[in-house]
Amino acid sequence: MIPTRSARRHTLALLSAALMALNIRAAHAADAPLSVVASFSILADIAREVGGPDVKVDTLVGPDGDAHSYEPTPQDAKRLSTARVLVVNGLDFEAWLPRLTQSSGFKGQTIVASTGVTPRPFESGHDEDDHDHGEADGHDHDHDKAGAEVHGHGHAAGHAHGAHDHGSNDPHAWQDLRNGMRYARNIAEGFAAADPAHAAAYKARAAAYEDRLQALNTRITSQFAAIPAAQRKVVTSHDAFGYFGQAYGITFIAPVGMSTDAEPSAADMARLIGQVKRDNIRAVFVENISSPRLVEQIARETGARTGGTLYSDALSKPGQPAATYLGMFEWNAKQLVNALQP
Amino acid sequence: MMAGMLPARGGPRASIELEAASFGWRGRAAVRNVTGRFLPGAMTAIVGPNGAGKSTLMKGMMGVLRPGSGRVHVRDADRGALAWLPQAGDLDRSFPMSVYDLVAMGAWRRTGPWSRLSAAEHARTERVLAVVRMSDAADRAVGTLSGGQLQRVLFARMLMQDADMVLLDEPFAAVDRHTTEELMALLCDAHTQGQGVIAVLHDLELVREYFPQTLLLAGDVIAWGPTAEVLTPENLRRARDRHEEAR
Amino acid sequence: MTLYDLVAAPFIDFGFMRRALAGATALAFGAAPLGVFLVLRRMSLMGDAMAHAILPGVAAGFLLSGLSLTAMMIGGALTGLAVSLLAGAVARLTPLREDASFAAFYLISLGLGVLLVSVRGSNMDLLHVLFGTVLGLGDDALMLVTVCASLTLIILATVYRLLVAECLDPGFLRASGGGGSFVHMVFLTLVVMNLVAGFQVLGTLMVVGMMMLPAAAARFWARSAGGQIALACAVGVCSAVVGLLISYHLNVTASPAIILSAGAAYLISVVGGPHGGLVYLARRAKPPAGSAWPPTGEYK
Repeated sequence: MIPTRSARRHTLALLSAALMALNIRAAHAADAPLSVVASFSILADIAREVGGPDVKVDTLVGPDGDAHSYEPTPQDAKRLSTARVLVVNGLDFEAWLPRLTQSSGFKGQTIVASTGVTPRPFESGHDEDDHDHGEADGHDHDHDKAGAEVHGHGHAAGHAHGAHDHGSNDPHAWQDLRNGMRYARNIAEGFAAADPAHAAAYKARAAAYEDRLQALNTRITSQFAAIPAAQRKVVTSHDAFGYFGQAYGITFIAPVGMSTDAEPSAADMARLIGQVKRDNIRAVFVENISSPRLVEQIARETGARTGGTLYSDALSKPGQPAATYLGMFEWNAKQLVNALQP
Repeated sequence: MMAGMLPARGGPRASIELEAASFGWRGRAAVRNVTGRFLPGAMTAIVGPNGAGKSTLMKGMMGVLRPGSGRVHVRDADRGALAWLPQAGDLDRSFPMSVYDLVAMGAWRRTGPWSRLSAAEHARTERVLAVVRMSDAADRAVGTLSGGQLQRVLFARMLMQDADMVLLDEPFAAVDRHTTEELMALLCDAHTQGQGVIAVLHDLELVREYFPQTLLLAGDVIAWGPTAEVLTPENLRRARDRHEEAR
Repeated sequence: MTLYDLVAAPFIDFGFMRRALAGATALAFGAAPLGVFLVLRRMSLMGDAMAHAILPGVAAGFLLSGLSLTAMMIGGALTGLAVSLLAGAVARLTPLREDASFAAFYLISLGLGVLLVSVRGSNMDLLHVLFGTVLGLGDDALMLVTVCASLTLIILATVYRLLVAECLDPGFLRASGGGGSFVHMVFLTLVVMNLVAGFQVLGTLMVVGMMMLPAAAARFWARSAGGQIALACAVGVCSAVVGLLISYHLNVTASPAIILSAGAAYLISVVGGPHGGLVYLARRAKPPAGSAWPPTGEYK
């Protein structure tokens, strides 16, 4: 067909209209919030802070949930299948996640929040899977008493058994605010890559958030510094506070079997009580995802103070004090400072 | 043998009266329309073909089974004045209990299951055991007894109960001739002392010999009255026929 | 290590050991006598079914009020009693069908209970409900199990004869003025009460072990029902002591250690017990069927 002049003009008009329509469509798409799925509540909170109104965040393990032994539901698979970004902690925290991503057919981008974080190993000889208590008995008691004070061992009396599903590194990196800042940065970068249109906004929000984290960090550091180092010893029922202890010079003692999956033996309890009495540990804490009963018994027997709830792996429900990452940190710090103050 | 064994009675009192009573299982009446009265102190045998409803009737009289229609009255005494010896029964023989304790259970109507037995009751238990000639076995477990021995022990318990009227369902079914005669003698003594005796029996010879009254049952009442009048060949044939029809 | 270090020191030095022993002992005194009756009446399966029956109630209580002792107890008591009433009704009417309907009950209850706990709680909570927290018994749990044991013993002493009659010859009881149904209900209520009180100590899965194993073991040593009860309590207490010591010295979980100690007592009894134990059976001529006493003389 020989294009006449008018036909060419018509074609051009049609083409440009089509192009405009496509552009408009693309622009609309760019305006829809980025669909994000976060593996657990703490990451979800940070993601919301960084993403603002430009993202829509769904959480897999919600507030007060236990991410160590989470069983994903079909709903989760559905949510994941339509998400564009998945935010995970990494450091082998979410053992159940690879199976879920595979079965849901997730094709989006994964952000590992702990990228670049210096991981803290668990105690030497701590191997979750083929754990042998005989081995542990040989080295831990006096070893810890000697070196414990300033280093934040976080794992004195023994090792967690059961399907705790960690690697040999402590995954609770968010318990150090500096790592939290890195998390925010990583998430911002990830969002920017998935959604370049709002890159600047993400980076700006992340920077502002980091400032708030830094301010909190400074405040908390000085609060803890005011407490003599020898008194900064605490018992919790979960070995989640290693990074926290490291950051602020607190020794967290988490007895074996007090983690989310296992039941302790009498030997474990006895060892822990002995240590608490020997080292004059002042405070005993309970967490929001594990049972308080045994910890209360320890407090009862040793005369240590029970210091209320500490939040380790999950935020609290909205309306309660630890509903955000900042809130959680402030709360934990306050409880600890109050309990440890002479 | 039994003289002075039982306390002086004020005379027999309890009687059982039935008014058009029917008893059955799951809607089907096994025994229908029984009307009559077992007088105090009477000695009555209940006979009839197998499956004629004799055990059912007895359960109904004891109050274990409710009448499907009609009524059962126990007059001049409460139901506790009746003693019942069921066929086989649901006695759990593997339960560890001694013969002595089993017999002593007969005293409950007087002492209640809560309190300990008095010395008098203990004495009575021993006497009763002697009467049935099971004193030597007093410490033995119920589960070690033979059929005949167990029946004697259950008789002893029945004697302990000192009831106004005793109801026995096939008491000699698993028992040898010798024991049967002994126990029959006990029943006669009880009757002499004024206790009413009602027994479901198979052995018509025994009935003719010892029981003045008979109730012939085949689903319905065929005849009820003095034994000689009831146990005629005619009545027996009617009972058989009625029973065949009913099947 | 001296005998003192082995046996006494753990209890003297540590409060949690003393509490655990107190709780387990109280449970033994309450549960073992009931277990003897369950064994004698061949209702062992029902005991197990009841332990599972209380689970959904406990789970529902947990669901509504968290790890609140009161809520879980009330829930457990409700479902336990509901099942026991049903059980009682079934037992009265159709003794043969008891087995089948109990199998059904227990599977349904277990599934329902696990579902309910999983809805709200973590695996740890489920573990606590199923296996108890013998090393962390609070004052309330201890008080509960002690009161329960005392009540059980008192009530049992009161209705003892009636209960024995109901086991031995229910027909006689019925004919003598009844009370059979009443005592049956009382008995089932006591069972539920002990299971509910005991789940704090040993958990719903294990508490029935403390009820049945000492009773089953006692059967091989004692003749009379009373003797079996006394022995069962003793076995229960010893299992608690041994189990706790094993947990202490060999560093294994406490509640299974206690139950396995009771299990060991049972196995020893099966082999070596004088009444029906395998060794004795092999040595003497086979006694008449059903005997618990050796025969004393010729048949008359």
